[in-house]
Amino acid sequence: MAVKTESFLHLARPLAPSVIGVQPTTSPLNVIIQPPAIFSILDHAIRRDIRDTQSTRVIGALLGVRSEDGIEVEVRNCFAIPHTENEDQVEVDVEYQKNMLALQLKANPREVLLGWYTTDLTLNSFSALIQNFFASPETGTFPYPSVHLTVSTEAGKEIEAKAYISAPVGVNAERAAESCLFIPVPYEIRYGESEKSGLELISGAKDSESRAAPVVSDIEGLERAVDQTLDLLERVSEYVSSVLDEEREPSNVLGQYLMNALSLAPKVDPHDIERDFNNHIQDVLVVSYLANTIRTQIDLSQRLATSTLTLGGSDALAGAGGEGAEKGDRGQRGAKRGGRGGGRTGGQREPREPREPREPAD
Amino acid sequence: MAELKDVPLNSVQVEALVVMKIVKACAATFPTTATGSLVGMDVNGTLQITNSFPFPTADVAASDAHPNDHMAASNIAAAAPRSKANVSYQNEMIKYLREVNVDANNVGWYTSANMGNFINTSLVENQYHYQKEVNEKTVALVHDVSRSSQGALSLRAFRLSPNFMVAYKEGKFTTENMQKTKLTYKDIFVELPIIVHNSHLLTSFLHQLPGPLPKTELEFPASLAELNKVAPRIPLYPNLESLDLSIDPYLEKTCDSLLDTIETHYTELNNFQYYQRQLAREQAKITAWKAKRAGENATRATQKLAPLPEDEWERLFKLPTEPSRLEGMLNARQVDQYARQVDGFTASITGKMFAVKSNLLPDSQ
Repeated sequence: MAVKTESFLHLARPLAPSVIGVQPTTSPLNVIIQPPAIFSILDHAIRRDIRDTQSTRVIGALLGVRSEDGIEVEVRNCFAIPHTENEDQVEVDVEYQKNMLALQLKANPREVLLGWYTTDLTLNSFSALIQNFFASPETGTFPYPSVHLTVSTEAGKEIEAKAYISAPVGVNAERAAESCLFIPVPYEIRYGESEKSGLELISGAKDSESRAAPVVSDIEGLERAVDQTLDLLERVSEYVSSVLDEEREPSNVLGQYLMNALSLAPKVDPHDIERDFNNHIQDVLVVSYLANTIRTQIDLSQRLATSTLTLGGSDALAGAGGEGAEKGDRGQRGAKRGGRGGGRTGGQREPREPREPREPAD
Repeated sequence: MAELKDVPLNSVQVEALVVMKIVKACAATFPTTATGSLVGMDVNGTLQITNSFPFPTADVAASDAHPNDHMAASNIAAAAPRSKANVSYQNEMIKYLREVNVDANNVGWYTSANMGNFINTSLVENQYHYQKEVNEKTVALVHDVSRSSQGALSLRAFRLSPNFMVAYKEGKFTTENMQKTKLTYKDIFVELPIIVHNSHLLTSFLHQLPGPLPKTELEFPASLAELNKVAPRIPLYPNLESLDLSIDPYLEKTCDSLLDTIETHYTELNNFQYYQRQLAREQAKITAWKAKRAGENATRATQKLAPLPEDEWERLFKLPTEPSRLEGMLNARQVDQYARQVDGFTASITGKMFAVKSNLLPDSQ
């Protein structure tokens, strides 16, 4: 299941008789699937109920957005629908689908119903029946085509997916409800910049036996990235030296590519580098220093605010007497805090200063 | 806490599905705060979070007259987990999820953050709202959208500490009380380690991302153009974007936030000083009154009259109430969080910069 299929032959779907006033479309359709939707389908496949149904597949609805011209649909979300299936009949919980759809749309008002998925690659007459339900004007996506996504979830095999839209076929009237023509459409798994870090974390667990990975800090992530880069460089230099030793077949193109990459290293005067480097690193360190100073100050202030000061409390005790003893204690502390506050107003302006010289340093 | 607690929570295990759903939901509404509910179960002290769904905020977006003014929307979204409508929404959603064999226990909620600015009253109130229930094993997952864009995913799990729960329940954040309970800003939250877990099917799927590996030995490309065209897809793990050198925007943002917290601290300080001045004034008045009454009584004693009661001042004067220390504590915790964040930035950026320098100036070593 590739992220993107390289080339695809679009088949125009046959025009169906439709309502007057609605222009039927035969334009090609592209399906874009976001990773959360796929993850959700796979999760549902694992959680299928095997007790009271013979079917091995589960079904659910696809939600997402449709481009204005209707030729691109983006599957962003999906939800499972309970259904039972046996040799001669299929039952879909329509009520459940309706309520769940309403709930989902409440949280994601921009999303619409796009179609449905199942976790088996086969298309049969039940598929057609459900497809017609999802494509119908009352309960489905009409006038837009309803997308049907099939994902294979057989253990030990590669996960495959196929996307279809449908058109009615000319069979006799009694069987029209349970027959339709499935036309394959291309699909693409697309993930945004924001999802990359999440996918990275999840992919980190893919080679481990326990299928689990801890959330790492930035510095650990950096270490891994550096390790990976070193490993890649190692491999390239190994290849280059084996070419030099005439052990491996040389390639002009690869040589040219490597030369291009090497020429990207900037030519700068060592003094400039030294200066910029020192400036920048000092700025960073100053910010860090100041941040920690502020932290210490605040920590101190919190501690002073809640600690019992016994040393200075006694003269205040003498002054205020009785009831005032405790308050005087606090008054004493107030003076201390005031003093500290004065010191801090100076510190408050400080973090701004290093920023001015830093900007030219960039 | 009073109820039977077999094993306290010690870690959080998040399904990959939940991670992706949270990332998606938070990124979609950024910079407005996004919140949602988590479902799962707890197994021997490990809280397994297996699914999540966002809270509806549609009415906010519609009623908000200024689309740019995301602050109002943020505030309402941040309050969403404890609003009444969403509690019923959550219950209904869980009821439906149960029918498709999803774990039907609410185990907490998630929220999005921007550069670590998540420690505020809203977080405390929401988590309190969840944790005070009978099923108190709930967590707050915080996903930092801005930090995640800089490299490693930032997802953290928090709970309120039992001490803080007690104090918050009583609503007493006075100085005396805090001296007695030794509650400091460091004890508000307990952070739990997070482990991400994949299902078998998902592992199988991840091995096919971003593309299948070539099965046969590749031919050498004939030209540079061809090489560029068939460039291999960059693997998702590890993320080489963490090698990026640009740090200034993040540092600048954190500095701004730090300055804001100092402002808050200063306001708190002023409030407290005002309270102390008020208190001192009242104290002085009381002392004067007492002296006057004592003098009167002395004169009355010489005139053989019954002395006037000496404790009337309690009715005449009202001592000002001490401002709550909660805000200050949260602010201190927030500063702590920012400073640690800056430390983290500094650690990685200095490493990277030294690497770059020794790469450009190999002789200077």
